[in-house]
Order: sequence, then C-alpha cells, then structure tokens
Amino acid sequence: MQASAPSGILAGMTRYVTDDIIYALATAWAQSALAVIRISGEGCLKALSPCFSRPKALVEAQNATTVHGYIRTEAGENIDEVVASVWTDGHGYTLEESVELSCHGSLSVIKEILGLLGRLGMRSAEGGEFTFRAFLHGRLDLTQAEAVQELVSSQSKTARALALGRLEGSLKNQIADFKQRLLTITASVEVQLDYAEDELDEFVFPREQLETLRKDIAVLADTYQVGRLYREGARIVLAGSTNAGKSSLFNLLLKQERSIVSPVKGTTRDYIEADLSIEGIPIRLYDTAGLREGSDAIESEGIRRTERLMGQADLVIYLVDSTDVSHIPSEDERTIVVYNKSDLVRPPKGRLAISAQTGEGVTTLLSAITERLTGGSHASGDDLVVIESERQSRLLTDAGNALERASALVTLDIPLDIIAVELSEALQNLGELTGEVTPSDILETIFSGFCVGK
Amino acid sequence: MDYDAIVVGGGHAGIEASLALSRIGFKTLLITQNLDSIGRLSCNPAIGGLSKGNLVREVDALGGEMAHLIDHSMIQYRILNRRRGPAVQAPRAQADKFTYARLAKETLEAQPNLALFMDTVVDLVLDKEGKKLVGVVTQRRHTITCRVLVLTTGTFMEGRIFIGEYDAPNGRLDESAAIGLGTALRSKGFPVGRLKTGTPARVRKSSLDFSKMELQDGEEIMMPFSFDYDSIDRPMLPCHITWTNERTHEIIRANIHRSPLYGGKIVGKGPRYCPSIEDKVVRFPDRERHQIFVEPEGEGTEEMYLNGISSSLPEDVQWDFIHSIEGLEDAQIMRPAYAVEYDFIDPQALYPSLESKLVENLFIAGQTNGTSGYEEAACQGLMAGINAAQKLKGEKPLVLSRNEAYTGVLIDDLVTMGTQEPYRMFTSRAEYRLNLRHDSCDQRLTQKGYAVGLQKQENLERLQAKLEKMETVKELLAKRRMGEKSALQTLKMPEITIADLEAQMPELSSFEQPILYQVELDVKYEGYINRQERQINRFEKLESLVIDALMDYDAVEGLSAEGREKLKKIRPLSVGQASRINGVRNSDIAVLILHLDRGGRHGK
Ligand SMILES: Cc1cc2nc3c(=O)[nH]c(=O)nc-3n(C[C@H](O)[C@H](O)[C@H](O)COP(=O)(O)OP(=O)(O)OC[C@H]3O[C@@H](n4cnc5c(N)ncnc54)[C@H](O)[C@@H]3O)c2cc1C
Repeated sequence: MQASAPSGILAGMTRYVTDDIIYALATAWAQSALAVIRISGEGCLKALSPCFSRPKALVEAQNATTVHGYIRTEAGENIDEVVASVWTDGHGYTLEESVELSCHGSLSVIKEILGLLGRLGMRSAEGGEFTFRAFLHGRLDLTQAEAVQELVSSQSKTARALALGRLEGSLKNQIADFKQRLLTITASVEVQLDYAEDELDEFVFPREQLETLRKDIAVLADTYQVGRLYREGARIVLAGSTNAGKSSLFNLLLKQERSIVSPVKGTTRDYIEADLSIEGIPIRLYDTAGLREGSDAIESEGIRRTERLMGQADLVIYLVDSTDVSHIPSEDERTIVVYNKSDLVRPPKGRLAISAQTGEGVTTLLSAITERLTGGSHASGDDLVVIESERQSRLLTDAGNALERASALVTLDIPLDIIAVELSEALQNLGELTGEVTPSDILETIFSGFCVGK
Repeated sequence: MDYDAIVVGGGHAGIEASLALSRIGFKTLLITQNLDSIGRLSCNPAIGGLSKGNLVREVDALGGEMAHLIDHSMIQYRILNRRRGPAVQAPRAQADKFTYARLAKETLEAQPNLALFMDTVVDLVLDKEGKKLVGVVTQRRHTITCRVLVLTTGTFMEGRIFIGEYDAPNGRLDESAAIGLGTALRSKGFPVGRLKTGTPARVRKSSLDFSKMELQDGEEIMMPFSFDYDSIDRPMLPCHITWTNERTHEIIRANIHRSPLYGGKIVGKGPRYCPSIEDKVVRFPDRERHQIFVEPEGEGTEEMYLNGISSSLPEDVQWDFIHSIEGLEDAQIMRPAYAVEYDFIDPQALYPSLESKLVENLFIAGQTNGTSGYEEAACQGLMAGINAAQKLKGEKPLVLSRNEAYTGVLIDDLVTMGTQEPYRMFTSRAEYRLNLRHDSCDQRLTQKGYAVGLQKQENLERLQAKLEKMETVKELLAKRRMGEKSALQTLKMPEITIADLEAQMPELSSFEQPILYQVELDVKYEGYINRQERQINRFEKLESLVIDALMDYDAVEGLSAEGREKLKKIRPLSVGQASRINGVRNSDIAVLILHLDRGGRHGK
C-alpha cells in the first residue's frame, strides 16, 4: 500500500533524473505585475551568477535570504530588475539548492529570462517536476504533493488559499484525527481478537464513535465538490423572457465585483459571456437570448442554444419580470427564480427580489448564489478544510462506505473477525491519504489502552 | 567434518530444528545443557491460543513435531474466541508438562541420524576470514565441526533470574545459564541485546480452596492439533479462575520499590502484552481486580500455575499478596515467581531464511531472535532447520509469505522491523488473517513441507483425501433444499452451524468433524476472502519486485539519508519487504522502484 501510491504519482513522470538544473515559470503565463521563475538543482546559483549583476552576493547568499540585482544577457545588457530568493541544499521546496526570481510580469521579460536560463544549460522543467523532486527528497507526502499540483493549476485566490492551507497541514491534521479515532475503534476490536474472551472485560462495540466518525468523514468527502468549485469555477446562466432585465443584471453583476477578469463578447448573437468572481468562486456568466416563443428561424435556433447552455450550467438564474408574472418557472436545485423590477411591483413575499435598475437586493442574490453553489459550506473561514483531488475524495468515500458496512454488520451481529475486515479497509484508505497504518500502530494502541495479558 | 548440522539448545526451537535436519537426511547433533530438560515448558503449561494455535498447526502441516507432542500430552482443550468469528478462533490446550517433555525427548531419541549430547556451547568457530561458521566450542572444551549450525539458546544465553533482591545466573530457576556464549558473540560483532520476561508462582493444589473460584472446563471433545489423525483421547482436568483485589494491590504498591525492575537492576525490556502483576497495578491503577487462571501443570503433580500474576517481587511480598487472593489464602507456594533476563540477537541481522547476514551457515531461531513463547520458538526452529537443510542441499531457502502463514508474518516482522520487546504472535499482526485459518494450514503448507523433503507422502495423500471429502460435503449441502434455500446458503447465515444441519442431514455424520468444521468455515467466509484477494494481489506485486541482497544503496540516487541507512542494514530481498522497514519512506520506495526498473533487475 505504502509503496504503490507513489508509483501512481510517478506514472506520468518521464524524467526521473535529479542531477540537472531545472527551471520553470511558477506564476501564470499572463501579463501581470509580478512573475516568479523557479530554478532548482545542484550548482544553480553558480550557473546563474554570470548573468546576475551581483554574482558574488548570489553565490554566497545564505539560505532563505534574498539578493537584489539585475538579470543580464550574456552581453551584459539588463533584462530586468529582480529579487532572487535563495535556498541552499537541503532547504526550500525541493530540498535542493534553488533560487526563485521575482521579476516584472511582462510577457516579453518572462520570455527573455526563460530563454537565457535555457542557454545557461538549464532544462525547462516538466509539469510537476519540482513537486516530484520535493517528493523524492522526502519533503512532501502524497497529500501535500497533490496540494502543490493543484496550487499550480488553481484559478482563483480562494482555491490558492485552500491549497496553501492544506500544505500547512490542515487536511493532513484532519485526516490524522480521523485515523486516530478509527485506530482507537479498531484497537478495541482487535484486542478482542488478540486475546481470549475470558481474559477481557465484556465487549460493547463502540457504535456511537463509529457513527460520528463515519459522518465526519462523509462531511469532509463532500467538500470535494466545494473544492472543485473554487478551483474550476461554475457556469451561471441568466435566463428569462426578453424584457425581464437580464442584461441589466448582467452588467450589474459585472460592476458589483471588482475582480472582473475579462468581459468577452459572445461569439454569436445568442449570448454574451463574462468571467467574474463571486465571493471567491470563479464564475463564467452567460447572458442569454430571451426565452420567448421564437417566430423566426434564427431566434428559435437561439433559444435552442440557450436551452443547451442552461442544460450545462451549474446554476440558472431565472429572471422574472414582476410586472408580468404570466410564466413562473419552478425552482429546483439548479435554478434560482428571481423577481426583477422590485422597485416597480412588490414581488410575492418570501421570494428573491431585486431591482436590476437600483441595485436593490443584489447582495442577497450574490449570497444566494454562493449558498447554492457551495451547498451551504462556505470557504471563507480560516478553518475550512476541503478535499481537492478526485483521489482524496474517492479514498474518503471508500473509507466512509467501509465504516457503513461495518456498522451494518454490527447490527446483524456478525462476528468481529469480519467486521475487522471492514475497519481495516477503512484504515487503509485513510492511511493512503497521509501515510500507512501498520499492524504495530494497532498493537501500540492496544497496549496503551487496555490492561491485557495473563 | 563431524556433523552435517549442529543444533544448539534442546528447547522448542531446537527440537524442531534438529528433527527437521535429521529427518531430511542430514547427520545432526543436538547439543544441550541438560538432557533432562529437553522440551521443558518453562512458563505456562499450555500450547496454542489465538494465532499461536495457528503456528502449531502450521508447524504440523510442514512436517514439524509440536502438534504431536501436545496432542499426546494435553489435559484440557479449548477453542478460543468461537464467538469472535472463525478467522480468529484458535485451539489451545493445557499440557501435562512432564508428559510433554518426556515425549519430546523420546521423539528425539527415536530419530535416526540424530545424536544427542549434553554440554554447553561457549563459542562459535569461524573460518579464517571470520565469514563462515565451521563449528562450536563447548564448556568442556570439545571442538565439534559442522557445515551448518542452528542456534537456539532460549532464555539461557547469559541468563539471570531475579526474585526481589535475589539474583542468580540461571536460564530457568535453578538451571544454569549458558555463560560465555553471549560475550563471545558480542566480541564477534553480533548485535546482542537484553530482554526480560517473567513467570508466576506455582502453588500446591491441595492447599487451595477451589470452592471460592470459578470453574473453567474445557471442550467436551478434544480435537487434535495435528492434521495426521482425526481424534485423540486424553484425560481432562479443569482450570479455575480467581481475582486479585484491593488488598492485593495495596501490598504490591507498598513494596514496589523492592522490585528489581523498578530498582533498575534489570535493563532488558519486558513484554507489554504480558505484564507482571506489579506492572498491571502501576499502569492501570483504576482497575479493582485482575484475573488469575489457576491451571494444573499435569496429572502427576500438585503444582498449579497462577496465570496472570507473574512477578519479580521478593518472596515475602509474593507470599503476602498471593495469600490475599480468594481461594489462595492458605496456598502453599512451591516455586516462587521470578523474572529472567537474557541475551538475544537482533533479528534484523538475519535474512528471511533465518541465516545470519554476518556469518554464513549460521541459522538462529527461537527466543534468541527476540521472540517469546513456545509456538513462536517452534515455528522458527522448524524454518531454520528446513533452511539449513536447503543450504546443505544447495537449494533456495523456503520463505513463507505473510499471506500464507503466521510463521511468515512472524519471521518477516522480525527480520524487517526487529523488536524492542519479546515478540509474541498476535492475530492483528497479520494483514490477511482470513487466509490464515488454522484449519486450512495443511492446504497451504503440506505441499511445501513435502517439497523440502520433510513431509511424508502419506500426509500428502491424506490431504488429497481431505480435499475430496470436503468437496463431497459441499456438494451434498448444495443439493439439499431447506425451504427456500439450499443447505449451503443456509449455512452462510451467521447463526446456523453445521451441527444444526447435521441434525437434518444424517448423511453428514459419516464425515469426520474436522472436515465438517472446515466446510462450515469455508462457506461462511467465501465472500470476504474474495474481497481480501484484491489487497493480496497488490501486496504480491511488491513482493515480487526482487532486490539483490548485495544491492549497492550508495549508488541509488535520491534515497533519504535515513532510508539509505536502514536499507543497508536490513538488505531487504523485495520491494515489499523494503516498504515495511521503519524509516524507509514512500519516496525511498519510489526511488527504489525506479532504480530497479532502470537497472533491469525487476522481477528477476
Ligand atoms: C522465566 C520464564 C518466563 C517466561 N515467560 C513467558 C511468557 O510470559 N510468555 C511466553 O510466551 N513465554 C514465556 N517464556 C518463554 C518460553 O519458555 C520460551 O519462549 C520458549 O521456551 C522458547 O523456546 P526456545 O527453544 O527458544 O528456548 P528454551 O525453551 O529456553 O530452550 C533453550 C534450550 O537451550 C539450551 N541452551 C541454551 N544455551 C545453550 C548453549 N550455549 N549450549 C547448549 N545448550 C544451550 C537450554 O539449556 C535450553 O534447554 C518464559 C520462559 C521463562 C524461563
């Protein structure tokens, strides 16, 4: 178990050598204020120094210090002003000698620096290779390695914060806590199998502990959806009849949030889309053609597309004109019905109402959207732990299922040796998340908790 | 060369090792300190128990002797943990300790090819390079040469017993320790350490008041441990149960400072799973009472064993606390409780064949490897004997896997992880225990015993016959309807036993009990065994990635410093084994797999 897991991570890796210097852009390939370029491998400082304005300072830098200077071409022309953060061997992310260059985030600067590094004999890293090295050098366990992978591909700030939180071990701690609780339950069963019945006190299966643990695991497993939401974002489609005020709401929402990425013009006349973020969730918002009976062929084609869009959406905001409530769609998991023009006509009590004109009710709408997308679990608190990878989610779900089966077997009064099989399966699943559980862990728990032995 | 093989020590490990070697056909000498103490049950007069009962049956399936010895000396038989489920239940028997030891010696004496000699080995003789074993030196200055040696010194190597302030160089009470060998091995560079264990007092039967105790009878029907026959007929004696009380604990607490353990006289580590009564009182102060089993030591003796209150407190304290216990108020103490501390050799210095990594042709087994218990000793003795014979034949060692025998689990644990305390077998040490049921040991191991030249042809045939009978029973069950279901399906229900079916299916009665019993377990288990299969496949994949014993770990790039040190020390023979070494990380295993792939050693 312990060893098969890493082979999974390695499966995609084509370069296993760790004796050369690798580099990569650590920030996104986009115009931005600041970019970070990461370099790792024995001798990287020396290799970089000829093209650094203060070679001596760079080569002699202490671990975890920064050196300010200029990156220059081989001909000595300045490319950019940078801050080099230096880690010596045995430190830093990869535990190798490494340096991070913070430079200006213009694409031309980035390109030029990367090109220079290549000419200095360094190799462009493959996806995940820094993590792989960190992993090889024992810096990361699997959950951490996965967190890094997601950090790299994370789209939004919250996803980034969540990924960071996990690196610091909040997920690890959470799972370790589950593991400990399960270990206690398992030990109470195993001791019954290790010692004869007449040597032990009357045994009552720790039913309640098992149940609460199972529930807690399920809650964590469910956060996978939330994690994915913050990472991959959601599609929201504005729908409703033509003059329900969709476009006003569309524009209002874009204005509401400062973090608009790029309002993109729709490729067809059927809808317009824009990226924004609502309470940290990356959202692609679609303003669709009106849903009214199409008379001409082009319009009914537009409506078909709208319907398709709605079908793919994570959430449909169905806007109803309060002044014309002839058609009210039914609300379901994926649909929020919102009454617009609340400034003109009072919408029915208890329903979501806004005025796209005055902006009334929009804040409520925003939180309704978040609520709906996250299923109520908000990622805003510091303490929220979410599962972000498919694998973690699967292992937790499997563990939960095994516990559920165990619980069912207890009800049926099935002998402990079989129940123990389910418990050990659950333990193994948890173990695969943070590090294995060995029989000696179980015995250790037995010996420390029970007075056994003739 | 005087002998093909020498076995040192006539305890439970030595008995199996010497019988295996001589039965396979090698001229063997057993040297032991005292011929009168061959096969002595030093501690508890019982064989078997949870997972230990499985060990006994594994020994038997491979062609060892322990099951025969207990089958013909038992005075009570029980199946433990029946209600906990078939996978973990196991047989346990009280032994008549005199009969047991006498049978052991008789068996050795009756064995062709096997010589017995009373002396104490004090040193090993190595070749010039110090890399190969060539013989032994004894206390009476004999030098005896051999091609392979199995060392089984039990609790005797530099043994010392403790009773309060008293201590003496003994392996058992008033039996001389083997002095000199431990020191000699230390100076030869063997990783020798100290461990300790203890035994309770023996009291006189006629001085006890059994009316104040709870009676504990055995099963009505005794079943043999051995697969070689289907029934046994032995006299039955009951055990009794009594309890310590607050008064007992007070006496112990008031005198705890007089224990050699708490006084720091004993340095060796004792077993946590089998604590002395003073340990229990100190570690679990809230418990009002501790259980004591009063067990007969045999038919022809009044000595009764007080299971549960081993101790190393001074005799006057033992006297007081024993007399504070119900039913033992007037107990006559015949032998005091004592602790023994002895030399053991770190088993991480052994290959899975139990051959030493330091000195070729030297095999080590039993308590010397840091274990405790007769069954643990016997299974190692047997494996060491078999593998010493394999070595003599120039054949590959027989290494049992963790998914085919508790013996495999035990040896793998020892050589891979070592031990900090006397190692005892537990069911929870085995990952795949559904596959390790005691009643199916013969199916897993008899063929292997035969292949190494130990099992008899007739036992192989008996196994065949057994399998056929089981098939027949299963067919009968499948054909017979019981309401909606077949009898086979009915048997899957937890509350239905095969005995229940037997009442309605008289045709089953013509089959032996062990056959019916095993069919019952097979049927009840099927679904779960299939589920475990998946895990086993994954386990086997890693086991099949073979690593050369001479692998140069310094040339493997990317190993963590600690991982590298551990790998160099243990020299695992498979990636699976490597993954179980403490301190070897996931990343090290990843690197190893990569390295093996690159080096092309993969699977060869
Ligand atoms: C005081 C005491 C307490 C114990 N408590 C427990 C317990 O709590 N739980 C438990 O499971 N087991 C206990 N046992 C352990 C059990 O007796 C052993 O595990 C088992 O007997 C080990 O078998 P063995 O073959 O390794 O060694 P032993 O049965 O000890 O046999 C070793 C034999 O080798 C002989 N010998 C040793 N060195 C030499 C030499 N150099 N030359 C010639 N002959 C030699 C000895 O005389 C002895 O006959 C206890 C034993 C003792 C003495």
